[in-house]
Amino acid sequence: MTDVDVQARLAALREQYGRRLRDDLQTMMAQTRELSEHQTAVKADSLETLRQGLHRMAGSAGTFGYAALSQDAREMEVWLQTLIEGSSQPTLQMLTALHDRVSNSYRNLERMQIAGVTEPDDSHPLASGERAIRVAVLADGDTGELIRSLSGFGYECRDLDAREIGADWRPDIAIVDTAKVEDDVWKPAVGAIPEAALIVLSAAGDFETRLDAVRNGAQGFFMHPVDVPSLEHRLRYLINLPQQDPYRVLIVDDDIELAEHFRLTLKQAGIESRVISDPRDVLIGLRDIVPDLVLIDINMPGCSGPELARIIRFDDDWLKIPLIYLSAESNVHRQAQALAQAGDDFLVKPIGDMALVSAVTARAQRSRQLSMALARDGLTGLIKHPAIKELIELEVARSQRTQAGACVVMIDIDRFKSINDTYGHGTGDYVIRLLANLLRQRLRRVDHVGRYGGEEFVAVLPSCQLENARETIERIRISFSQLECVAADEVFHATFSAGVASTREWPNAEALLEAADKAMYEAKQAGRNQTRIATP
Amino acid sequence: MKPLQRILHVEDDISIQEVTKLALEVVGGLEVTSCDDGQTAIARAHEWQPDLVLLDVMMPGIDGPTTLAKLREQPSTQSIPVVFMTAKVQPSEIEHYLSIGALDVLIKPFDPMTLAEQLRKIWEHSHD
Repeated sequence: MTDVDVQARLAALREQYGRRLRDDLQTMMAQTRELSEHQTAVKADSLETLRQGLHRMAGSAGTFGYAALSQDAREMEVWLQTLIEGSSQPTLQMLTALHDRVSNSYRNLERMQIAGVTEPDDSHPLASGERAIRVAVLADGDTGELIRSLSGFGYECRDLDAREIGADWRPDIAIVDTAKVEDDVWKPAVGAIPEAALIVLSAAGDFETRLDAVRNGAQGFFMHPVDVPSLEHRLRYLINLPQQDPYRVLIVDDDIELAEHFRLTLKQAGIESRVISDPRDVLIGLRDIVPDLVLIDINMPGCSGPELARIIRFDDDWLKIPLIYLSAESNVHRQAQALAQAGDDFLVKPIGDMALVSAVTARAQRSRQLSMALARDGLTGLIKHPAIKELIELEVARSQRTQAGACVVMIDIDRFKSINDTYGHGTGDYVIRLLANLLRQRLRRVDHVGRYGGEEFVAVLPSCQLENARETIERIRISFSQLECVAADEVFHATFSAGVASTREWPNAEALLEAADKAMYEAKQAGRNQTRIATP
Repeated sequence: MKPLQRILHVEDDISIQEVTKLALEVVGGLEVTSCDDGQTAIARAHEWQPDLVLLDVMMPGIDGPTTLAKLREQPSTQSIPVVFMTAKVQPSEIEHYLSIGALDVLIKPFDPMTLAEQLRKIWEHSHD
């Protein structure tokens, strides 16, 4: 591994840690606010929890480049330590000062993080790496359309003769058109690049053909004519696969050794978990790790599994998390009784390691997909209308605090109704997905993209000057107009019009959206396929 | 002198665990096994026989000093050197850790690019 790779991995860890730091500080803000508001009931252990949190932060923040914050945390820790060791109760002023200090650290962190975000620029590398993702297409010369489409999304594509593959340009993904290339040509070629993920394009879609693709190691299968947005979506999925956050599981079991065994077993499979041995701590545990799934022992002293499940279900926040009982109860009737109260499923103890891992993985995966689906639009995978409005409000508030302007962009596909009328709704949906993927692809990771209405999108660009936002959207507009949209037997081009507004001119979310919308309308009036800036 | 090769890293903070693994394995070319509590560390040290244990002081469950004491009770682990890692900087505390048998004490936060080098120096120094 080269030095550059080490730096890149360090940067990735730093980013991940930065997110955690925000969460931790937010939690501490809530804890200290609570303390300062209920001063009479300050308990020694709540101060101790806080002190431990600060201690951990003091030790870790500096390693990830947050030296000032590390120092702050250390000072607060020392101060809190004297408070804990002292005999008198902390005064209201002390607790308020502590809360202010934590809030101040949080603001400093936000300022630092937003300062690290650079203005959008011309380059648009995929994933998090320095270079573009390489895609090799093997289709015996007949690759022009596909390569043009994928290149529009920023992939580095090459039409490769099977014989020249892999010499000095090693692809990350190989797309093989089995309708055009013979098996004895492509199979050895693909075999020479084992690190590349394989996608098979095929003329037939029957079971045998799909099975054959699976047996050749394919991780994607598409039939002709190829749906480019779906193909692009799959590419993104394949590239991002290893970067997914590990699943998180909360284990509630009074048998500490067994629970610990479950935790280690899950850990070996890459699943994070936290063990809670006292059911009373379950709400804290839930807030701490926000699990994808909760495993609950059915027989615990003081509070049974079904009772605990009902307590968890009181809270709307946890409604979507599957609650799975772990139990030695193999009587189906009694299982049904427990499930009738609350809870989603049973795992019967003793359970083997493999069985545990696969049961947990399947349910956690489902749970995560569902929670993504709830906040996201089904067709495009983008954020839905109400959620994006909330994000705009957050960004407006942030830009006022940090003085860094944010921009909101309203985007509307031109003459969408006539696309639908001419080519059918299926093609209309295709165009929407194409634009959704392109926006997601080209904007920065800090930007938000939402689907606002039928063919209308909204993007929020934090820490971005008006002119940079306009340029970014213009580049996307030009790329989009060049993408080939494929209807049944016809190729056409779609365009969009956009309006950009900055928080510098419009101080609240409502006015900002309205201004961007008005600018977009002006772009339409002026002939479409252009970007307009909103002026007061 | 045998070169330093296998490190058992004990740390409950997953972020620190990851960055340490990167610092020691990728930057430093060492072999690392991580675990996140003292109890597991004692078992792992027995099974894996590391050259050195890098041990966080403050952990939930049994803390660093207790883990060290337990390692010393177990014949298979009693002579494995232990280096503490701590966010505390009071000189008296460092002295205390040395007095209970730590080979050395590293201060958090640390620089991931030089951590392996620091450990190697401690290792070489102890074999002088």
